[in-house]
Amino acid sequence: MTVDAMFMWALALLLFSAMLTLIRLLVGPTIPDRAVALDSMTTTTAGAMVLYGVITRQAIFIDVALVYAILSYIATLYIARYLVKKRVGLA
Amino acid sequence: MNFGELFWAVQILAAFGLLVSAIAAVRFKNLVAAVIAMAVFSLILSLEFYILQAPDVAIAEAGVGACLTTAMYLLAIKNTTDEEVIE
Repeated sequence: MTVDAMFMWALALLLFSAMLTLIRLLVGPTIPDRAVALDSMTTTTAGAMVLYGVITRQAIFIDVALVYAILSYIATLYIARYLVKKRVGLA
Repeated sequence: MNFGELFWAVQILAAFGLLVSAIAAVRFKNLVAAVIAMAVFSLILSLEFYILQAPDVAIAEAGVGACLTTAMYLLAIKNTTDEEVIE
């Protein structure tokens, strides 16, 4: 098995685990469950984007993963700040 | 696994995720949960642009979908009620 094939299997497994966190997004009873599911799904997909850039050997594809990681961090901060101020999803 | 098989596997997973997250964003009764489902929809759409060899469109989709849309919808929800009003 070559290195590229191993990277491709790792990418497919990362995307499959991202689809597994989608189940937690669907059935999560409270809002913090869904926010954590969004955060873990973003992290997993950023790792998959870096692996795809390695497989296709194009360095510009790494920048998309960087931008998405930073922006999803800001979005998670917004959701957390809203949850602390309004106190929803705790009951 | 060669590159063609990987391409179609990623396409199938992205299509499944897009369908599920779009249905979830429409059908959630709690508005914050619907906003989170829409952020997931934007994430998978950005991945789809990325797979289709358009990284600049993916960067634009990431900036608009992940940050601006979530922040603006949360600002709008903060000024209204949390639950959807059912007549």
